[in-house]
Amino acid sequence: MTDLFHILHDYGLLLLVGQFPQGPLGGLALTLCLAVAGLLISFPLAVLVGIARTSTHTVIYLPVSVAVHLIRGLPVLMIIFWAYFIVPLAIGRSVSALTTVLCALVVYELAFMGEVIRAGIQALPKGQIEAARSLGLNGFQVMRRVVLPQALFHMLPSILNRFISLIKNTSLGYIISLNELTYSAYQINIQLLTKPFQVYTILAVTYFLICWSLGQAMTRLERRIQARRERTAAYVESTIIASA
Amino acid sequence: MLSLNFSSVLHGQYLHWFLLGAICTLLLFAVSWVIGFLLSLIVVAVRSSGARFLVAAAAGFVGYHRNVPELVQLFVWYFGVPQLLPATWQQLINNTGNSEFIFATIALSLNVAAYMSEDLRSGIRSLPSAQLEAARALGLSYISSMRKVILPQALKVAVPPLVNQSLGLFKSTSLAMAIGVAEMTYVSQQVENESFRTFEAFAVASIFYWTVSFLIMGLGTVWSKRLNMDGTR
Amino acid sequence: MLRPLAAISHFIGLFLIATLSMTSVAHADRLKDIQAKGSLICATLSGSQPLAYQDPVTRQYVGFDVDTCAAVAKHLNVLMVHKPITVEARIPELALGRVDLVAAAFGYTKERAEQIAFTSSHYQIPLKIIVASDSGITKFSDLAGKRISTEKGSTPELYVHRVIPSASVVTFQDNASQFLALQQGKVQGFAIGMASGLRFVNESAGKYKFLDEALAYEPTCLGVKKGEPELLAAVNKVLEDMQASGELDALWNKWYGSQTKFNISRGKLIPISAL
Repeated sequence: MTDLFHILHDYGLLLLVGQFPQGPLGGLALTLCLAVAGLLISFPLAVLVGIARTSTHTVIYLPVSVAVHLIRGLPVLMIIFWAYFIVPLAIGRSVSALTTVLCALVVYELAFMGEVIRAGIQALPKGQIEAARSLGLNGFQVMRRVVLPQALFHMLPSILNRFISLIKNTSLGYIISLNELTYSAYQINIQLLTKPFQVYTILAVTYFLICWSLGQAMTRLERRIQARRERTAAYVESTIIASA
Repeated sequence: MLSLNFSSVLHGQYLHWFLLGAICTLLLFAVSWVIGFLLSLIVVAVRSSGARFLVAAAAGFVGYHRNVPELVQLFVWYFGVPQLLPATWQQLINNTGNSEFIFATIALSLNVAAYMSEDLRSGIRSLPSAQLEAARALGLSYISSMRKVILPQALKVAVPPLVNQSLGLFKSTSLAMAIGVAEMTYVSQQVENESFRTFEAFAVASIFYWTVSFLIMGLGTVWSKRLNMDGTR
Repeated sequence: MLRPLAAISHFIGLFLIATLSMTSVAHADRLKDIQAKGSLICATLSGSQPLAYQDPVTRQYVGFDVDTCAAVAKHLNVLMVHKPITVEARIPELALGRVDLVAAAFGYTKERAEQIAFTSSHYQIPLKIIVASDSGITKFSDLAGKRISTEKGSTPELYVHRVIPSASVVTFQDNASQFLALQQGKVQGFAIGMASGLRFVNESAGKYKFLDEALAYEPTCLGVKKGEPELLAAVNKVLEDMQASGELDALWNKWYGSQTKFNISRGKLIPISAL
């Protein structure tokens, strides 16, 4: 037990921020920044993917669906290895391990978050779209003003779930020497050599605390959204009854 | 200029390695799935039992496996736990010559059991609670009612998410390469290191993963169609 | 069904993208680029004491390889930009042009020389196997049929396959894992270059030792991208200058000399033509 305390005391800074400020950011800070960046970049693209997957035009639906199925069929690690070799070829110059992992995670999230958004869009009552159409809105406006705001709002818990998944997936950066949290733990391990259990316990607990807290926030968010949906439904019902 | 040449990685030693890697991946997947599935039935039964300590333990089990990355779980089992085991146990496992595979199986089965138990739990929640009461009223014990009444029905409802979890498990086998299990990703790296044919080596591994992923999803669709065809009560 | 067809068509698309993008690689003078940028991207290992590792207190990268990189950069009048890489990433990183120089226990082999360009060998070190002192293993034939851990894509891995073909090799991502596997009895030997492995033996307080036999006597070089003769010549010149002025010896003695706990000799500077 005291071992844990000593390790945290001696290496806590390494775990938290890596080499910063004498070097690039690393450790837990990098993990979180990477996850946030991944979410922000993949989210708009995932919305496009989700819309494309509900499209009735085959020329949009088919390639996107094929791409989503292919991405979902590969392990994240293989996608990282592919990104490692393809991204510099596509861009034409070398990229860092950070960019590689970011690209790989964005591509992976496109497929999964795209499915989440697709589910959100398809969960909306068809009556909404029909009503919007009969009010004279075209397809684009229907998406933008009626469908997406509601779909995204209802899908917030699932999106948060994907964020938790992103945080966990950043741990794979260890395999290509990205200096994130798991890699920092390996750095400690190589110093101490005889205390892997303590080091990995600290690592597991750190991830657990972060992901679990986010999960709790997600559950709370889910309840509030559900309550709001019920209130809205009750209000709509009462309006219909009152006007009858 | 790069010229793709698949025959360079699909002959002799390399082909042999790829085949072994494929077999190892499939074996790891199959064993972890069976153990994980059986374990998930137990976990979900414990979690719904109402005994406070057991429910909390099951919740903790699920919480740990869902919130800690799989890679870290693998490390904890392979490097961390042996530090705590008595020397005779360590010797026993090491003498099998397959300690990586054993620990990878343990880590992956526990992980998938946690996720599957959550899906089963949703399945149970979708059943009317009167079912369990009726079963108990008919004189069945808690375990029997779980086994004969609740779980079979919950399983039917939970097939789509369970298929998803199975797919996730199959893909997670690739992480075992970090603890030295010679599965497909490990082998493709090995071939790549020796032959310097990166594209071909990874392409072979990718085609393997895609093929089996599609098979799993196809099997899942077939299975859920069959379950729905015999009519739900 | 539609799906396999889609998979195949997607793969053909990938293949096309790859071959088409290959055409954009043009020859440039890397040395000029480095001098124009004013910085040399130099890659070393990250957990190998005392070659290249993170000082736990300052959290900076230090070590013989790091110092070598810094010296080369100084002689070329540019700044050093440090990048940690794994053993198996050394060749891809050079081949893809992502780093300028690799100083990472790079052993010369003919196969590797086809992929990247080696400089003159600045030190020669035996590749050895570490075993538990009480295991009763004293020579390579005792390891027949046993398990040996090593690093992916390293020369120890290569030579274990050649010298002890009946042993099964298990590779891990990093030295710590490989040594842990030995400590926990999962493998019976740990194959590693002596320069990188000395630290494990020394810190084990006698519990682990090197076997007397050497898998190979490996000339270790720096690595640069193939097809960059100016850069190669420049780095070789720097190494010659450092050898003549005694700087190379001084660097070596700082990390491996008689007053350190390692105390092994460096060998000499051997040009590639002699290898």
